[in-house]
Amino acid sequence: MSEKHKGNFFYNLEKSAVITVIGVILLFSGAVTVTLIAPSLVDPTWTQPTSSYQVQMYEVADPNTYISSSQKGGGDLQFVYHITNDYSLMAFQESATMRIIAPPELEKYVTGADDPELKLTSKLLLLRKPLPSEPKQDFNASKAADALRASLQSQWEKDHPDWKKEGLNKPDFDIYELYASEGNEAFALAPSDAFVENWVDENYKIIDEKQQQPWHTSSGVIYILNPREYRITRYKFGNTEGWRYDPYGEKISDLNELKSHSLGFRSKKELIHHGEQIYAAEGCWYCHTDQTRTLIQDVVLNGSAAFPAPPSSANEYIYQKITFPGTRRIGPDLSRTGIKRPSRDWHKGHFWSPKTASKGSIMPSFQHFFDFDPRGTAKGTTGVPNYQFESIFQYLMTKGTRITPPTQAWWLGLDPINTKEIIEGKKKLP
Amino acid sequence: MVKMLNPTDIPVKQAVKYDDTPVKIMLYPAIIFMILGMTVGVFIAFNGFVYPDYFSGEYVHFGKIRPIHVGNVTLLWLLSANIGLFYYFVPRLCGVPLWSSRLAYVSASFWWPSLIIGTYSMPWGTNFGWEYAELPMWVGWLPAKFFFTAAFIMVAVNLYATIATRIYEKMYVSLWYTMGTMIWTSFTVLVGFFAINWVPEGISRVNVSFFYIHNLVGLIFTPMGLAQAYYFLPKLANTPIYSHRLSMIGFWSIAFVYAWIGAHHIIHGPVSQWLQTTSIVFSIWLFIPVWTVVTNLFATVKPHWSSFTQSAPVRFIMMGNIFYLLTCIQGPLMALRNVNEITSKTDWIIGHSHISLYGTFTFFAIAGIYQVIPVITKKPLWSTALANWHFSLNLLGSIPFLLSLWIGGFWQGMEWATWADGNTYAEFHHQLTRLSFVDTIASMHPFWVWRAIGGCIVLFANVLFAINIFNTIVLIPVVKPTLSPAFSKVQP
Repeated sequence: MSEKHKGNFFYNLEKSAVITVIGVILLFSGAVTVTLIAPSLVDPTWTQPTSSYQVQMYEVADPNTYISSSQKGGGDLQFVYHITNDYSLMAFQESATMRIIAPPELEKYVTGADDPELKLTSKLLLLRKPLPSEPKQDFNASKAADALRASLQSQWEKDHPDWKKEGLNKPDFDIYELYASEGNEAFALAPSDAFVENWVDENYKIIDEKQQQPWHTSSGVIYILNPREYRITRYKFGNTEGWRYDPYGEKISDLNELKSHSLGFRSKKELIHHGEQIYAAEGCWYCHTDQTRTLIQDVVLNGSAAFPAPPSSANEYIYQKITFPGTRRIGPDLSRTGIKRPSRDWHKGHFWSPKTASKGSIMPSFQHFFDFDPRGTAKGTTGVPNYQFESIFQYLMTKGTRITPPTQAWWLGLDPINTKEIIEGKKKLP
Repeated sequence: MVKMLNPTDIPVKQAVKYDDTPVKIMLYPAIIFMILGMTVGVFIAFNGFVYPDYFSGEYVHFGKIRPIHVGNVTLLWLLSANIGLFYYFVPRLCGVPLWSSRLAYVSASFWWPSLIIGTYSMPWGTNFGWEYAELPMWVGWLPAKFFFTAAFIMVAVNLYATIATRIYEKMYVSLWYTMGTMIWTSFTVLVGFFAINWVPEGISRVNVSFFYIHNLVGLIFTPMGLAQAYYFLPKLANTPIYSHRLSMIGFWSIAFVYAWIGAHHIIHGPVSQWLQTTSIVFSIWLFIPVWTVVTNLFATVKPHWSSFTQSAPVRFIMMGNIFYLLTCIQGPLMALRNVNEITSKTDWIIGHSHISLYGTFTFFAIAGIYQVIPVITKKPLWSTALANWHFSLNLLGSIPFLLSLWIGGFWQGMEWATWADGNTYAEFHHQLTRLSFVDTIASMHPFWVWRAIGGCIVLFANVLFAINIFNTIVLIPVVKPTLSPAFSKVQP
């Protein structure tokens, strides 16, 4: 090389080296454009949700469902809805043995047992056991409830004239009072730890003056059925301080109190996210795949005795920060666990000792998902499940349960893509 | 064939003094971590599979220990050793010392702490959650991933600058591979470590992850390993490379093919069919670079087969070459939908990853170390006999180790396929009630025992290797500097 160009980087690189570098970069960026950038732009299933049920589960239900163990340990979990005015949808529906009395201005929100249409509202209303109201008010719920109960029971006696002879028990009708709650938010007792929320997509009406939230107009909505206010009583037992649900106890003032150290509630969203972190850190994904592949053996493995599981689609994963499709299946696939193993008790026993819960399993035990039970008050043979257990359990319960609304669910045999017909060869792939 | 330029033709300039300290600070720790990584691997083979969960608990169960094994053998051993060997042969192919030894020290001072602390922190729950990218972003206040990336970029800059200041005008094929792999690695690492969090959540990230996973093997370890093979084989066998043109075809086909095939890790999975098909087509094209490499290396040794019998490192390269052929026959075929249906998600995959990273590229790196050690320590190897044992035991151990994984994995895939046996769903499900999932795990036990036995032999062999290298460095007093390789039996 000549003296003139000495030290010049590009000259020193020489022609073939320049070609190497440019060629490599060109080839590489072509591949990156097509395989990494294009797919999410070309294929809508990569970014669009599977259903509006999926959207509402992750964006409406999860952030507003709170879970805590009530510090008595064991399975004594508490489930609470966080209800916000003009946001959460609620229904107040009577049944054969449950009736709702309401002051005249609220009567329009009550759905009778025979009503063909479910009435929903985002107005902050709650149910409570009827209270004798202050004298100045003209609506005395307590008296109205007694009168209603008496008339219902005498009606029942008329319908069952020989009830004493037949050994029937006279029903004690459950009567609740509908009332408008003060403030902008409230906490309601959630009936259970159901991982499928109440969903309605036909014969319903939202009785609000104006549309409050965009999701209220989607093709179906998640709603809270018959919310009753979550109140607590704190107690002291020896050195242990605790609390329990008590409909006549003290109110929970706000989210900060609910999430405080003494009550210890966490939203399902936080728990699911934490569960995902645990799934990553514990290395669950080295042994478990999270994909039902488009293979007969996979849809059979994850299916029930009557129905195959639908193969996983790209948009099932869009609410996950980390996705674990997996490369090795040393344990069974987990993409449909929420349906295959919905029991918290089963998971408790299984995480505590997989080898006894599932004979022949080589899974390690995860006893660090449990706390030591010093007083020995927990029922059952495992330790006391802690937040790690609850997080991983809630995370697993999202698997396969949120693809379609429960009214069109694959586990009812209502598979939208006809997996069964396709694997039996009666139908061709689209 | 036209005689092309090769390293043995390069005139030795006595004036050039190469600084080999950067080589040492990468190679020596890497050998320690190879032993540690393989020890952890053997521990897993027993505690995860032969006696499942014998040592149980939060910090020792399979999911916590596996990433230590992977981090050790991929990054702490193989990648570090590769960088060390690059520091050795890139200056020698350029005829100039490494551009900056100081930059190499700075790079190493970022490299080792971030990798060691990052890898060994994983039992305490720092796993990043994406395969092969488990290295945590942060361990306490230590930004492990950032430090590692910075260290790698320093390595790339150093090697590029060395090439840019070279005095030999023609570039040998190993330098092409070096330049390619430095671009690919830097980009792949940035994508897999950081850009994965910039794309939409869900399957887009999965796609990026598999792009990263495949390119880590295909565009980092493959070109690095091939650069070594192309440099060290002619050196060790004392013969020019058979065809420079063939190696160029290999290089460009690797550049063309590899970046496309990430999605073949998720065939039948929840990604678009066209993307799966694209990855399958490009996977089949992988046969081109593989055959060029295999042909080239075999044709190089062909007139000098005596070197194969006389030199353990030549045996390592040629055995690695055979394993490379095997792994690259497996790879494209596993991408075919019908083969993938059986092999995917089974132990076959584990076997495949071990034959490539252990059987091929670890063998190449070991051969390189055998060549390098006498030069950088200026002493002959402590024991040639031990080196021969090292090779023989490695080969002996790898056969039960790899065969059990392939046969067992294929067997398990066939067992799973019985659930697809029938015409109606009732028949499919009946098959599942006859053979449950956990039964198919139980039937793997004998294969896992053989895998563990093979692993023990491999570990033992490499302990011999470490002893040999350690003694070479420590025991013998410095003798007269020699420019010819220690394995000089083939030389006059």
